[in-house]
Amino acid sequence: MLKTPVYRCSAVATGLKQLCFSSECGSCFLVLRSSRHGNRLLSMSSSVCGKALPRRNPREVVEINGLEKITYAERKHFVPGLTKPIFPPWERDHQNPFYYKSPKPEEMPLYKDKPCFVFHQRTNLMEGVKQTLWLTKSKLIKGIPAQIMALADNPANEIENQDDRVQNAIKHARFWDTTENVPPRERFCPTLLNSLLHLCGLQQFKHPALGKRLLCQKYSLAASWHRGEDLIQVRGKNGMLLNSMSPLPAMAEREEVLGTADSVLETFYPISPTIDLQNLNVFDAKTDTGFVEGYPYPHAHTLFFTHLKDGHHEQLRAKMVMYAFGNALARARALYGPEPQVLEKPVVVQSVATNGRLFQFLVFQLNTTDLTTDTGVKNLAWMDEDQALYDFAKVRPLIKKKVVQVPAGLAGYHPDTFKKLLAFYLHGAA
Amino acid sequence: MAAMVRLSVRHFSCARGPALLSNQNAFESKSVYPAILPSTTAKSRSAKQRRVAEFFDQLRGSNVKDKLSSLTKLQRMKYVVYPQTFALNADKWYQHFTKTAYISELPEKYSMSAHETEKSNTLPQIDAAALAEIRTLVCNSLLQENCQVRKGRAPLLKELQYTVAPFLKNLSSGMTCVLAKQNPLLRSSTFDSEPQVNFYWLRGKRILPKGHRRGRPEPTRFQIDDKPHCQLRIPHQLPEFVPLRNEVSEEVPVVHLSPDRLPLFRRQYENHVYSGAKVDDPCCYGHTQFHLMPERLNRDRMSELHSEKQLEVTLRANAIASLFAWTGAQAMYQGFWSNEDLDRPFVSQAVITDGQYFSFFCYQLNTLALTDEAEVDNPRKNLCWGTKSMQLYENITDNDVIGLNDQVLRLLIQFLLNGA
Repeated sequence: MLKTPVYRCSAVATGLKQLCFSSECGSCFLVLRSSRHGNRLLSMSSSVCGKALPRRNPREVVEINGLEKITYAERKHFVPGLTKPIFPPWERDHQNPFYYKSPKPEEMPLYKDKPCFVFHQRTNLMEGVKQTLWLTKSKLIKGIPAQIMALADNPANEIENQDDRVQNAIKHARFWDTTENVPPRERFCPTLLNSLLHLCGLQQFKHPALGKRLLCQKYSLAASWHRGEDLIQVRGKNGMLLNSMSPLPAMAEREEVLGTADSVLETFYPISPTIDLQNLNVFDAKTDTGFVEGYPYPHAHTLFFTHLKDGHHEQLRAKMVMYAFGNALARARALYGPEPQVLEKPVVVQSVATNGRLFQFLVFQLNTTDLTTDTGVKNLAWMDEDQALYDFAKVRPLIKKKVVQVPAGLAGYHPDTFKKLLAFYLHGAA
Repeated sequence: MAAMVRLSVRHFSCARGPALLSNQNAFESKSVYPAILPSTTAKSRSAKQRRVAEFFDQLRGSNVKDKLSSLTKLQRMKYVVYPQTFALNADKWYQHFTKTAYISELPEKYSMSAHETEKSNTLPQIDAAALAEIRTLVCNSLLQENCQVRKGRAPLLKELQYTVAPFLKNLSSGMTCVLAKQNPLLRSSTFDSEPQVNFYWLRGKRILPKGHRRGRPEPTRFQIDDKPHCQLRIPHQLPEFVPLRNEVSEEVPVVHLSPDRLPLFRRQYENHVYSGAKVDDPCCYGHTQFHLMPERLNRDRMSELHSEKQLEVTLRANAIASLFAWTGAQAMYQGFWSNEDLDRPFVSQAVITDGQYFSFFCYQLNTLALTDEAEVDNPRKNLCWGTKSMQLYENITDNDVIGLNDQVLRLLIQFLLNGA
């Protein structure tokens, strides 16, 4: 019965009920029509025809020149036969930020015809690090530079009772930090990073140069550059930045830097290199470190990220590269001017990210600010991925088939990861 | 088993004390026959007292975790004491709740001049280089948060969180790192930011006015849930300010009104005793807490609403409540509770600030026997020393801090050098 075509009767506006007969099979449909519920076919399930019909187009209003409409505006209530009055839109005589209406993008003073591709703190790059290498014209080297590894392996830099204290910091973050049994990642991840940084900072009595640094929680970065035809920008607040009075030494020698001219940037055709970047027409193409001139700690030392999601490590590493590059570029422009050039002294920025268990380490060396073409000297990025500080921190043991797979408590502590973090922190001071 | 323990905890809540048992023990030593003990199961006053005494004995023998869980297990309506309160004259009330005498100056240790430092139990001298380093640190971090970072305007009523909170964090962690050279105790310290500090205790009692238990005494319960901005914990105890048996002339004010009049309100939820870390943490003693006054207790606003006096009252109340909670939790982590009073005093310090004005407080916990039964013939009282609020700087212009007060810096350094 339902397969037969149904012809809907055009109901009279005032009529509520109408019996209609299909001309082909003679079956009968009861149609309930009301302005509130739309058309309801009572012989069918409500889920089939419960959807309201689209609103009819408004009736065309005929304007006749020279004819004045008589409205019920003066009467202040509806009067049948009189026209509905049209008032000018009401405008507030004061400013209320809760009812702010922004002008159209085209009318904004910062509107440009050519769009800009913006990377900000919520951007997740599809291609991850590979894409950032193209965007920042960099060459990736796996592992940590030899200078920093030498710091990590030097036993003179070790903290006394290092392993015990780091394990206590982990246990504090994972088990002892709140009265709850299991603190959430939003709590334990920053706690762990802060305790480890406190542990590193206490080494100031051995290395007094550590005192010439200051942590900044909320700074806002802006760095823009041209890559081929496109204008690309990194901006926004992200991470904690450790600023320093003295710059970090260059990681790669001059010959190695000039040797990067031979390397070829990896592409990922057919995917566009600017995929997932926000495409904006209203933007300010500025380059700003986020600090005023004359700031006593002008050099970026390390950028710390806490990653509060499960997974998405590739996107996190991409973010580290982009923000480290943005910081380096902004500082290089402040030092050497906005002209694209191969830098005399490369700018080095480190970055460390953690999700409370895994650590990502990055050293970025900005060799050139000439980023438009694919040829020439490239920047360098050293990356050490997914270094676990510990394997498991379990409140209850993991038991499978009556066999304890993972005991309760901290298991599988890796001392090398903290050594790397300490070396990153001491780099430039020890 | 659990039911048994819960039963005995309930008896503890309305106990009369272990007086009877000790009397019986006295009889026992003289008598040839075995003592006639009251029944453990009868519904009589003596039976109940015996059950309570046995429960207390059992508690004394158990380990710290069991003690804490038994003492906080029973949930009843309790007064929630807020350290940062808007209540007028809250400090007198808080002194009464915590049996704290307030002394309006710092302990002798801090006021001693340089030539007197030969004696033991004193602070090391302030290094001129360290003072200079800390002065630059304070200036730089103040300038960074106030004018050198392009931050934009703070959200409404969150100005302090926006500028002062990062300054305070930089200040406390930076000063700890600088002074670790002089104070080896700080090298093994732990730094918590926004930790949780809780304390639950019983003090005073009331007669139940209605209900099926009408006419029976019920202890008044209190709970503090504190959240300092940051705190330093250390693995060894700080030295005491005055000996435990020392007589102090300052009196503890007594308030005869019900705590509802402060006003305090009663709620029922989990009882916590917590010093910022669980019992297993080796850094179980407190060093210094840093508190940030909330925006609603802003100086200008408070002096507009009330008189200038109430400003200091709020700060004092905050210090007394927070430090009592923190020090009390540390003492309970060492196994002390109201019927097993302290054998050594516990000490901690606090700095309360709104970014510009700093006040300094020291606390010495002498007794935890605050319940009515345990308090009989207990002359000990807790002590709190404190200063009025002092201005750190007068004004900040672009690239300059005007009128930096060295006295405040010296006090900050002395506080962190404590224990060296």
